[in-house]
Amino acid sequence: MAQTEAELLDNPVAGRPTLILRSPDFHSITEVVAGPVERPAPLGWWLCFIPSLALLGLLGVAVSWLFWEGIGIWGLNVPVGWAWDITNFVFWVGIGHAGTLISAILFLFRQKWRTSINRAAEAMTIFAVICAMTFPGIHVGRVWVAYWMFPIPNQMDMWPNFRSPLLWDVFAVSVYGTVSALFWYVGLIPDLAMMRDRAKTRTRKLVYGIFALGWRGSVRQWHHYETAYLLLAALATPLVLSVHSVVSMDFAVSVVPGWHTTVFPPYFVAGAIFSGFAMVLTLMVICRKAFGLEQIITLRHFDLMAKIMLVTGTMVGYAYATEFFTAWYSGNPYEMFTFLNRALGPYAWAYWTMVTCNVISPQLFWFKRARTSIPILFALSIVINIGMWFERFVIIVTSLHRDFLPSAWDYFTPTMWDVACLLGSFGLFFTLFCLFVRFLPMVATAEVKTVLPQADPHWPAGPERETMDGRAALRARGASAPAPEGAP
Amino acid sequence: MPFDSLRSLRAMPLLVNQLPTGPYYGALAEFATPADLYHACERVRDAGFTRWDAHTPFPVHGLEGAMGLRRSPLPWIVLGLGLLGAALGFLLQWWVHTAAYPLVISGKPYNAWPAFIPITFEVGVLFAALGAVLGMLGLNRLPMHHHPLFRSRIFERVTDDAFFISIESWDPRFDPSATPKLLESLGARRVELLES
Amino acid sequence: MIPERDRVALRPEQAMIPPGHAWNRIPAVGAVFALLGAVACAMLGAANPKQFFFSWLVSFLFFLSLALGALFFVLIQYAAQGGWGIVLRRIGETTFATLPVMALLFLPLLLGLRDLYEWAAPGAAEHDALLRWKAPFLNVTFFLIRAALYFGCWSLIALFYYRLSRGQDATGDPAVSARLRRLAGPAIIVLALTQTFASIDWIMSLTPHWYSTIFGVYFFAGSFVGFIALLSVVAVAMRRAGLLDTVISAEHLHDVGKLLFAFTAFWAYIAFSQFFLIWYANLPEETVWYMARLEGSWKTVSIVLMAGHFGVPFFFLMGRAVKRRGSTLAVGGAWLLAMHFLDIYWQVMPTLHPEGLRPSVLDVAALVTVGGCFVGAAGWLMRRQALVPLRDPRLAESLAFENA
Repeated sequence: MAQTEAELLDNPVAGRPTLILRSPDFHSITEVVAGPVERPAPLGWWLCFIPSLALLGLLGVAVSWLFWEGIGIWGLNVPVGWAWDITNFVFWVGIGHAGTLISAILFLFRQKWRTSINRAAEAMTIFAVICAMTFPGIHVGRVWVAYWMFPIPNQMDMWPNFRSPLLWDVFAVSVYGTVSALFWYVGLIPDLAMMRDRAKTRTRKLVYGIFALGWRGSVRQWHHYETAYLLLAALATPLVLSVHSVVSMDFAVSVVPGWHTTVFPPYFVAGAIFSGFAMVLTLMVICRKAFGLEQIITLRHFDLMAKIMLVTGTMVGYAYATEFFTAWYSGNPYEMFTFLNRALGPYAWAYWTMVTCNVISPQLFWFKRARTSIPILFALSIVINIGMWFERFVIIVTSLHRDFLPSAWDYFTPTMWDVACLLGSFGLFFTLFCLFVRFLPMVATAEVKTVLPQADPHWPAGPERETMDGRAALRARGASAPAPEGAP
Repeated sequence: MPFDSLRSLRAMPLLVNQLPTGPYYGALAEFATPADLYHACERVRDAGFTRWDAHTPFPVHGLEGAMGLRRSPLPWIVLGLGLLGAALGFLLQWWVHTAAYPLVISGKPYNAWPAFIPITFEVGVLFAALGAVLGMLGLNRLPMHHHPLFRSRIFERVTDDAFFISIESWDPRFDPSATPKLLESLGARRVELLES
Repeated sequence: MIPERDRVALRPEQAMIPPGHAWNRIPAVGAVFALLGAVACAMLGAANPKQFFFSWLVSFLFFLSLALGALFFVLIQYAAQGGWGIVLRRIGETTFATLPVMALLFLPLLLGLRDLYEWAAPGAAEHDALLRWKAPFLNVTFFLIRAALYFGCWSLIALFYYRLSRGQDATGDPAVSARLRRLAGPAIIVLALTQTFASIDWIMSLTPHWYSTIFGVYFFAGSFVGFIALLSVVAVAMRRAGLLDTVISAEHLHDVGKLLFAFTAFWAYIAFSQFFLIWYANLPEETVWYMARLEGSWKTVSIVLMAGHFGVPFFFLMGRAVKRRGSTLAVGGAWLLAMHFLDIYWQVMPTLHPEGLRPSVLDVAALVTVGGCFVGAAGWLMRRQALVPLRDPRLAESLAFENA
């Protein structure tokens, strides 16, 4: 029995679900995305922007006081030399990874649904990396000699230690920030041209026009552009794996129990994608409502994102299980103590928060009802990010506060300046994100247009397109006879 | 063929502003759908035009084939630069740790090459990515903020929902009266003859 | 309506091995090799039982990893609702349906547990505090129970997916796909855990004092590369043999090539992570495993593995044309299969021959025996059913698949 295309598109077994709702044409996509940028900012935007700006101010105050007084204003001390500073660093770098996964890895896997969210996710990556980079920058103590980290000749003929993971971090995170920014910008060029062509004021036309580089949609240009996009995606994929692996090596190359374990690199990458997707989900739930993008960012997109969170969350759970088993299997008393201490020691409250948020709560995503319910998605995305922040905290602080020498054991307590820096970093992130949605199209319009059915030059069915070797031969053999009974 | 894309580099015009000598820049035709554009491109390609282009708001699948474009040489540029970057990254570390500032760290030899791998990889990716972006911009002759096509009134919708073919007047087969008629016959919604 | 171009239909007789075709003889050929190999193993193994058990372990793990990789591949295709690979899925199903046969091939190892595993030798724990500590886990009884559990889970999942997929050929029932998709998630979790502990039991415990949390992931990476390599070789061979040559196109080969390329890099990443972290911290309890593999001629093998399992294939499989042409892709696949075997050999053999690489005729005999059984079983399965899932709802999408 013949099925209509609509039925088929929503049949999850045989067809592919509709990605963009209500069958819009190309122009309405342009209008839906460009509209919010061209109209004055809604009240909701101000309600997000002003508090973010305030928190950014708090960050400025906290960092200034930090530079003036020194690291002592934080709660750090022997034996806990790293606490909230590096937790925040790893937290923000991790969040950034989802953007690259959506842009690059889902592109390589031909997942068309990524086009609705990749622009915002990539922007999120860049802003998250900026937030991340502030923490290693400010935690060095003598910020005025931070240039010693870079391989530039200096007055002491001194070079950085390239064999230290802390320096690999410098290179990895800065390369990651650069490549992400390049990837984001390259993707923006056609949309900037769209904004330029729609601009009503001279200033807008000038600014969008400069950054659009004179893009005119030439197919010869699209040709090189698409090749560059594919190559950037192919480069960004191993890059994102390497960056969080390098971050994990900050811990894993040491001999500290609970830190030195070989599974850290892939485990950290999985955790990063997990928390990053949660942040994308948080942002998208707000933005699609605020900017009327429900047609483009649909429940199907959220369903798929929730599935990815389920997968990566399960990988994190697998890593927990392997670490736990190996801690026993190794027979290493320090390793075993660390794990017992995590679960039952003074930081047990942090550990069990982490387990509840990271391992237990994402299991709700096995159920389709949870994956397609906006309130549950929003709540869980925040819970997961809290859990992932605690995971980094637990890894760092529980391993440091009680390691080999019991006489050096202590308990770390954050000060108000630790809290100020964390909240301030959220201020930095949301300020940048608010500015992004205000001035730039937050959906990759050109890419979304390509997933509409009418973008295919052979839709509706026209003359036979060039066949590839197999099907031509198949047809020649007379196999285009009616399909076997029952096949759709 | 693997080296096809390198040949396309040779075929590109060396001068950016090879402006036409006659009164016209060329003919511009607007099409309604990607399907119309696709079939029109095939006909224009088969008619033997060489100095022409199509313009779309988004990349249309298969259009490069319909236009007869060769593969882009960008992958070679990226590979070359990536390897160069990796080599430079490794060389820098090797030189620093064996010659410029050798220190015994963790009891390992000066040339502890496994420890050089992360930065080698990162610098390689950096150079490759820069190569991809700058290479793409170079091959596309961007930025090019001023182009005769921007003077057309109908061309504004190229970034929205309209599809165009432009045939430049210095194409040997261009004719100010025949070419617009040809484009109209291919199903163009509107045809414009642009002054130069 | 699905556009006409996507209605590429397949007559049932096109998708079976035609009677009289050379591939019908594969099961017999496999059986002959298995028999000859078994005789050689028995004769040579009687003289040198320890070598026999180690050689058998290597070959057993090699073919088992291919079957497990196949299972992962098919489960992930179901879970992600992948469309491109439907035409290749039957190859994966045939490969993992041999898991019950692998269970039988595991049995010879039970005779040699004491030769293989230091902790299984009676009285081992008396003089070794660490082995005493691990004894609740590393003891023969629990080991056997776990092995039964692994094979039980694997056979259950494999036969379930095999049976239902084959049943769908007759009924065309779309509900089967939906059911298999829903169960794929939990099945992957079970597979991941059992595979991890199997690799710990069978490979990691060869050096019982040693441990690495990434070891399960390392085994997975190797097994997945191994299966994709096998897939590329089999797909190309099938086309050459005139089976499915109009069904498997350059597009499918291209995608298989991309997977092969990507997972070769992934394997290198995991292998390097493990090595690097252990090398960097330089803790004797961890470095012992790598020290054994960097002594004497094992060092050469390590270098060959690095270059051969990653360096060369990475650059070879980078180009687009190489992946789209059957001859070049099959060369890459065959090479990586050999490298995967070398990887397993390198993981296992230094326990028996710490002094250096000592290839033995038993290595070949075991490979021929286990391989003969594996290939024979797979060949027999291939004859019993269609070579593609004839009535899979997404078959049309897979047949019409085109890379961007």
